Amino acid sequence: MPRIHLGDWVDSGVDWLVDHLSWLFDAIKAVMEGMYDGIDSVLAAPEPLLMAGILAVAAWWLRGLLAGVLAFAGFALVDSLALWDQAMSTLALVLVATVLALVIAIPLGIWAARSQTVSAVVRPVLDLLQTMPSMVLLIPAMLFFGLGTAPGVVATLIFALAPGVRMTELGIRQVDAELVEAAEAFGTTPRNVLWRVQLPLALPTIMAGVNQVIMLGLSMVVIAGMVGTGGLGGAVNQAIGQVDIGYGFEAGVGIVVLAIYLDRVTGALGTRLSPLGRRAAAQSRTRAWSYRPRPAVALAGAVVLALVAAGLGVFGPSAGTSEASGTDVGKGKEIRIGYIPWDEGIASTFLWKEILQERGFKVTTSQYAAGPLYTGLATGQLDFETDSWLPTTHAEYWAKYGEQLDDLGKWYGPTSLELTVPSYVKDVNSLEDLKDHASEFHGKIIGIEPSAGMMGLLKDKVLKEYGLDGTYEVVDGSTPAMLAELKRAYGRKQPVVVTLWSPHWAYSDYGLKKLKDPRGAWGKGDGVHTLARKGFAADNPQVGRWLKDFSMTEEQLTGLEAQIQKSGKGGEQDAVRTWLRQHPGLVDKWAPVAKDDARSRAAG
Amino acid sequence: MHPRLEAEHLFKVFGRRPDAAVERLREGADREELRADGTTAAVIDASLRVEAGEIFVVMGLSGSGKSTLLRMLNGLLEPTAGRVRFDGQDLTALSDRALRELRSQRISMVFQHFALFPHRSVRDNAAYGLEVQGVPRAERARRADEALALCGLAGWEKSWPDELSGGMQQRVGLARALATDADLLLMDESFSALDPLIRRDMQDQLLELQKTLKKTIVFITHDLNEAMRLGDRIAVMRDGRVVQTGTAEDILLRPENDYVASFIQDVDRSRVLTAGALMDTSVTGDAPLCDCETATPRTPFTELCAISARLSHRVSVVDEANRVVGVVPRQRLVGFLGDETAGPVPCDNPEGKVIGRA
Repeated sequence: MPRIHLGDWVDSGVDWLVDHLSWLFDAIKAVMEGMYDGIDSVLAAPEPLLMAGILAVAAWWLRGLLAGVLAFAGFALVDSLALWDQAMSTLALVLVATVLALVIAIPLGIWAARSQTVSAVVRPVLDLLQTMPSMVLLIPAMLFFGLGTAPGVVATLIFALAPGVRMTELGIRQVDAELVEAAEAFGTTPRNVLWRVQLPLALPTIMAGVNQVIMLGLSMVVIAGMVGTGGLGGAVNQAIGQVDIGYGFEAGVGIVVLAIYLDRVTGALGTRLSPLGRRAAAQSRTRAWSYRPRPAVALAGAVVLALVAAGLGVFGPSAGTSEASGTDVGKGKEIRIGYIPWDEGIASTFLWKEILQERGFKVTTSQYAAGPLYTGLATGQLDFETDSWLPTTHAEYWAKYGEQLDDLGKWYGPTSLELTVPSYVKDVNSLEDLKDHASEFHGKIIGIEPSAGMMGLLKDKVLKEYGLDGTYEVVDGSTPAMLAELKRAYGRKQPVVVTLWSPHWAYSDYGLKKLKDPRGAWGKGDGVHTLARKGFAADNPQVGRWLKDFSMTEEQLTGLEAQIQKSGKGGEQDAVRTWLRQHPGLVDKWAPVAKDDARSRAAG
Repeated sequence: MHPRLEAEHLFKVFGRRPDAAVERLREGADREELRADGTTAAVIDASLRVEAGEIFVVMGLSGSGKSTLLRMLNGLLEPTAGRVRFDGQDLTALSDRALRELRSQRISMVFQHFALFPHRSVRDNAAYGLEVQGVPRAERARRADEALALCGLAGWEKSWPDELSGGMQQRVGLARALATDADLLLMDESFSALDPLIRRDMQDQLLELQKTLKKTIVFITHDLNEAMRLGDRIAVMRDGRVVQTGTAEDILLRPENDYVASFIQDVDRSRVLTAGALMDTSVTGDAPLCDCETATPRTPFTELCAISARLSHRVSVVDEANRVVGVVPRQRLVGFLGDETAGPVPCDNPEGKVIGRA
């Protein structure tokens, strides 16, 4: 078979689009982010419980008292889990994606219902969009729109588009042909046939489609969290990255509350909107407890709550930034740091956030998966990140993006890569011992992402060096899966061999044993590097110098990580402050403000 | 003077290259040959003339092309060849917009399965045509209510279609068609979905309405009895062609071919035939010879039998001026009932007594 270079064509197609249509993508991005910011600020403005009240009134109006009460309880739960802001941002994201998806899907569905050709063309395209693994869509979306909300919205809406189109088409096609003919027989214009007959009768089906769009959107939002959309998706990703089951569950519950609320409310909205549904509802309503406020009453209630909310919002506390007591170098200049939710990444990122804020910079941090992080840095959407393992682990990324990045040097190291077994596995101490104990480990080495540089090294070099090639199979997977497997086996005291690296929190949580590498097959080990976008150091010479000079000892790093671990989610910055108080002088050491420097600035 | 509606050599072919198919049909190809090529000839060379104020029934079995023919009469389907003239105006020459205008103002339609809009109340359904015309809301409601009252649905205006029985739903359909004051009413198997008793009621009501409204109605049915009851004239269709056009009696008494003949076999003649069709016109006179009961040419068969049973001689059929236009001997009544046109054969036992066995 000749090799069809489909991937290359797609690659060059994407490149061409990025090069030639960037103005279009920028415009789309601006629209989406504008919508998102607008909706998010409305949703997040009121006190959480007031907003929960407003959402509950909507549920009461649409479905009844019980639904209202449950909605309030659900949102109150989200608030008490300290996930309110994330939930509102996710809600805003889903709403924007849904609105845009419907703006595209409904006209497309109508068109497809009217033309067999359009229908035949649209159907396979929808199949493609719907079944294509979502990460595959996410990466090009990121190249087009950069990091943040826009690619998340785009990926979500593309993924959620299909049911909207399909159900609209189906709904219109399902309308009895005799009714359409009757309308035509009385001289109705095609446009009015659509408005007076087809759409009203297709409405229940279309609303079912809307419901599906929202549900799919919500499920996609979690994945979109990987490109830095934040919200509950970001929380879930963070939890997965750290195998934090409890936090993952909490974020999951938040998503479930949103999902159930949106599902029930849009379902009820369908019956409210369609004339047939309204009639059925009117007939069945007989009991007092199923009383629902009339639309006017419900609207008035929501408006009153909203006004109260707005009033509180105005007089309520405004989000203050901690004023730095030290020398103001940044003068409010914005610096964007990205990070991967790994322990040393979180620690160093929040450390630098605190240091830079003290020096007068305005710092935003956002969390990404490794791929998006590098893309964001390479396209200049992020200023720097502190967690690149070079030259081995992140070799792939460096090869792809290295030219667009500046390496600000190693701040920690050397790290090491290794195969690790629990310390209760007695006879295995070195890689050389593995060969004889293959059956004990069922011939399996639990690996991580196949794309990781470490995995290449393991398969190509380490196994050969120790003659493990035929006896062991490397299981590809992901870091969270590997850690979960380690945790499971550890809990049952079963022998297991995993790929691991240091520093890693697993070494402090479990009793583990690094297998010795007498032949040096793993190489010398990586350093943890700080990478910046091209030109960042030139734009911010002082910060560039600080980052280049930055280094941490193992003791410092593990101490900081432990402090962060102790204060839990959301408390990273406080933990950093506490830790810095315990280690006075470090800020001035890492970010010195030389006197002559300040003078030359003043002179210039 | 034009007839109200006239169809000339209409063809409707579905499928690829319809024009070529029409050419072949004109050259004498039949439906089956075309079907082998994947084209369907629904209507072949159909011509009709419908006079103002008459009920014209198109009758045929399913697949005979009658519904397709009907949809060409108001332009819902465009004929592949041929012409439709409505009051002398050629429908095939009109633009889409003009055609819609015509449908909304002057031609309305009643459907087999009622085709009521389930999301509109009975009143809004009846007012639909007026809404399309752009009649203001108040007037539209008034005229819709009038049409509903005319169809016996006063008081049901605020109900919803699914709350009504089938017969009542079709009355709404009829009211919707009447509300626009269209001259031409197209009725597509309008009573076929109703059960027999309701169907009869609806037929009676239509005939009753027609006495005062004098609309021009084209009525499609597959039921010959219905055709005979309603139709001033009837066109019988078979396989896309009109095989015979005439009055009920023409078709019943003088079927043009075996198909029509076999079709009318099951017809309940006693309902359709009248004295005018049965009488022996060789006997005429200025006045009946006796004071006995007489019949008129419009007297139905059953009533004629009743009269005949009360008389000792043949029944005289008289016109408005009491002139005898024909007579009906009892033998003839029995003969028609038994579908026997020949006279009686002589009997070898003139007494006509039955000889029992000893």
